[in-house]
Amino acid sequence: MTVINEIYQCVLDGDAGTIGDKVQAALDGEHDLSDILNQGMIAAMGEVGRLFEEGEYFVPEMLIAARAMQTGLAVLKPHLAEANVQSAGKIIIGTVKGDLHDIGKNLVAMMLEGAAFEMIDLGVDVSPDEFVAAVQEHEGDIVALSALLTTTMPQMATTIDALKTAGLRDKVKVIVGGAPITEEYAKEIGADGYAPDASRTVRLAKSLMG
Amino acid sequence: MNIRQRFRAAMHYQPRDRAPIADFGFWEETIPVWHEQGLPQDVFFSGAENNTVEYFGMDFGIDRVFVEVESGLCPEFETKEIEEHGSRIIVQQADGVIVECDRFMSSIPRPVTHTLKDRESWQKHFVHRLDPGNPDRFPVDWAARLAAWKDSNREDLLVLPGGSLYGWLRNWMGLEQLSFTVYDDPVFFGEMVTTLADCILGVLEQTLASGVQFDACGMWEDMAYNAGPLLSPRHFKQYLVPHYRRIADLCHRYGIDVIWVDCDGKIDALLPLWLETGINCMFPVEIGTWGADPVKYRRKYGKDLLMMGGFDKHILAQSKEDIEREVYRLAPLVEEGGFIPFCDHRIPPDVSLENYLFYLEKAREVWGKGVNLRPMKI
Repeated sequence: MTVINEIYQCVLDGDAGTIGDKVQAALDGEHDLSDILNQGMIAAMGEVGRLFEEGEYFVPEMLIAARAMQTGLAVLKPHLAEANVQSAGKIIIGTVKGDLHDIGKNLVAMMLEGAAFEMIDLGVDVSPDEFVAAVQEHEGDIVALSALLTTTMPQMATTIDALKTAGLRDKVKVIVGGAPITEEYAKEIGADGYAPDASRTVRLAKSLMG
Repeated sequence: MNIRQRFRAAMHYQPRDRAPIADFGFWEETIPVWHEQGLPQDVFFSGAENNTVEYFGMDFGIDRVFVEVESGLCPEFETKEIEEHGSRIIVQQADGVIVECDRFMSSIPRPVTHTLKDRESWQKHFVHRLDPGNPDRFPVDWAARLAAWKDSNREDLLVLPGGSLYGWLRNWMGLEQLSFTVYDDPVFFGEMVTTLADCILGVLEQTLASGVQFDACGMWEDMAYNAGPLLSPRHFKQYLVPHYRRIADLCHRYGIDVIWVDCDGKIDALLPLWLETGINCMFPVEIGTWGADPVKYRRKYGKDLLMMGGFDKHILAQSKEDIEREVYRLAPLVEEGGFIPFCDHRIPPDVSLENYLFYLEKAREVWGKGVNLRPMKI
């Protein structure tokens, strides 16, 4: 088994204790950075997503895989900056105003990070103005809105309106998710996409980035 | 028939005058919104403290059927406000979790930190609170209550608090840390579940030994979300199933054959496993966006599966035609039995009072057949 395969397996098994050494070994062995990242870690997180969608992995398996990924990334990151490896895109994520729930949002952020997206996490109870300010400051590619409550769902539409008013709507894609959200609702409020879970959010984000 | 007889008949597919008319309650902010829509100001709802059951003419409300015996933490942690930031407050809850919540919203608060972090904190803060022998688990007038409950003609439903094997731990430790613990220290995870089960069983044994005939046992888990369970079925089988079986077996020995689990979200992967253990009633059968449906569940699991809830709360916020259609759609299942219909979660404030009253009118007419209904104070 090559060290890249071992890194892949570490992510899949959620082995945070070993992956750092494996990444270091890959770096010492002068493996290409993009191979370590893309064939080792990102491919493994893709497989985690597939296993999740197929009902073989559940939240704990996804969490330990993401933890292993982050541990490996911590070793790799200083080198990525030097090698000018590009992120898959920049995503501004948050739970909408009035809603304090963050479990789903955090899972989505972890999976997106595992797919090489740069994440700007605004947290919970994020007002439309805060989303607008974040888009202006960070020049994100995608805004990801999360809501758990039927009563806070309308804040997604309000946030989209705020992006329009600020002249930013054409500059970012907006994706939505959360327990009460449906494809129909996403269309109704003018979002660019909806995903029912963290794994499929990755696919959606990639498709929107072209 | 009285309320208790009706509940028992419905849950055992026996002849009955009509279906029980019941509810799961309301978000706390729903009632103030309804006050502005014409609900009398003296109608209130705060969990078990409410007069909505009487006002809306319900047979029972879920919050008020539980016997007041503590099967969880005893004593609880001190509840106190720690910080205030405008309408946001930081509070230590009775379960030791420090949460941020909105002073004006009753929805689920956001955990900030957890007292339960690891073995050390478990031993220090939790184990002694899970002693089933603590006499404070029972109310001071326990003997008098038991005497009253032994009346074979009593009308009130009595439901045993069956506690929780996963949901409490998830709350006390947080989903992320508990999920890591399942992998990082599975022995510790198993020990925590066993301690909870031993505590619950100890409390239930003492309660059942009283000789009172209880009508059901109700557990709480909330261990699923819109994509499925928070714990894999493999771990569920390994760590939880043996203890669910112990609890169900104890209930069965005392003649209790309605054992429900309160679990929101997409429960499909866990449902057959619960049924195998003897946990035979799903509540509140949350419809959600994942295609749950009590009619579909009945078709799949037959009469082995009992259900309560199952009326999509989102429909209550739609048109009266939509509400009426759903009441009629569920009617054959209600008639068959093993299913007590009501809203699939607490009713949110985007449902108008007018729509709720229309729903009640239709529920009483179609499921309640207009027979022996408790008066509404409207």
